[in-house]
Amino acid sequence: MGLKRNVGLMEGLRYQGKGPMLTYYLHRISGLSIVIFVALHILAGYLSNQAWGSSTGLFINSIYESWIFQIYIFFCALFHAINGLRIVILDLWPKLIEYQREAIWIEWLVFLPIYSIALFVIIRSGLGG
Amino acid sequence: MEVTIKVFRYNPEKDKKPSYKTYKLEAIETDRVLDLLEKVKGYQDGTLSFRRSCAHGICGSDAMRINGFNRLACKTLVRDTGATIIVQPLLGLRVIKDLIVDMEPFFEHYRSVKPWLINDEPEPEKERTQSAAQRAIFDDTTKCILCACCTTSCPSFWANEQYVGPAAIVAAHRFIFDSRDKAAAERLKILNEVWGVYRCHTVFNCTMACPREIQITKAIGEVKMALTTGKLE
Repeated sequence: MGLKRNVGLMEGLRYQGKGPMLTYYLHRISGLSIVIFVALHILAGYLSNQAWGSSTGLFINSIYESWIFQIYIFFCALFHAINGLRIVILDLWPKLIEYQREAIWIEWLVFLPIYSIALFVIIRSGLGG
Repeated sequence: MEVTIKVFRYNPEKDKKPSYKTYKLEAIETDRVLDLLEKVKGYQDGTLSFRRSCAHGICGSDAMRINGFNRLACKTLVRDTGATIIVQPLLGLRVIKDLIVDMEPFFEHYRSVKPWLINDEPEPEKERTQSAAQRAIFDDTTKCILCACCTTSCPSFWANEQYVGPAAIVAAHRFIFDSRDKAAAERLKILNEVWGVYRCHTVFNCTMACPREIQITKAIGEVKMALTTGKLE
């Protein structure tokens, strides 16, 4: 009697874990994005050199070259690196875990200026400035 | 003030699917969510089922999701929830009826880490003494009330209930770092298995949800470190 155990993706996403949970999700999304990006990048490189697939390869490359895509992938790479560093530091020094809230604030404080500068450069060159 | 409380309802004898029922009632800011549930059950709908016992944050019976976050209903004030409250059962455990979940998988994991003192050495004449400093190492993890707020807030546990879960690791930590206990290696071996401590991905949901404010992720980190270095310091 009773309901089956079932935790749907949406139900999990609706859990109000706030800041730390947001970084957990962003870490997964950015990691997956980087893997897909690298895999497609290798594929595009291979296809571009093949007579039968060069147009597909060039098409994939044109996506990478778009400045909007660069904004996204740079977010993924930078966030994944800084968040990963936070987790590694906390794993190596468990005593610091007590200050995990502060660690997340520091993470954003490091991330935002670097990302803002990159954003400025990408948008400016993207708009032909 | 008038409070609207939307409660997850499921009666296995009548309902095929769960639903939500909304109740309106008068409350003051210092009322607890448990008081509201008691009022609903006492004056509006006697069929509402939920667990409660001490009602003072000690027994851990009334853990539930309140506005999407695991809390004890007896420790959550209307002042902190606002006038609209959504109450759901804990996530990741089977719902038996309304807000009552099957806690057996949770306690099974708890028992799996042998949460009792193991010491085969001959008993001393008086007691097994311990210094204040030795006690301080595991003081935090002695506070657990087994409410399951932590385990049921953990995405790793949601994904697979075979994961031993934060509460069981906290219970193991309490004995692993106890100078009087002699079975640390045995417990560490259990936690080193596939569904053990390395399923923790430092999401911190457990630490945030713990009504006793135990630094759960820190305790898990210390167990991970003990496994890595083989030292209990």
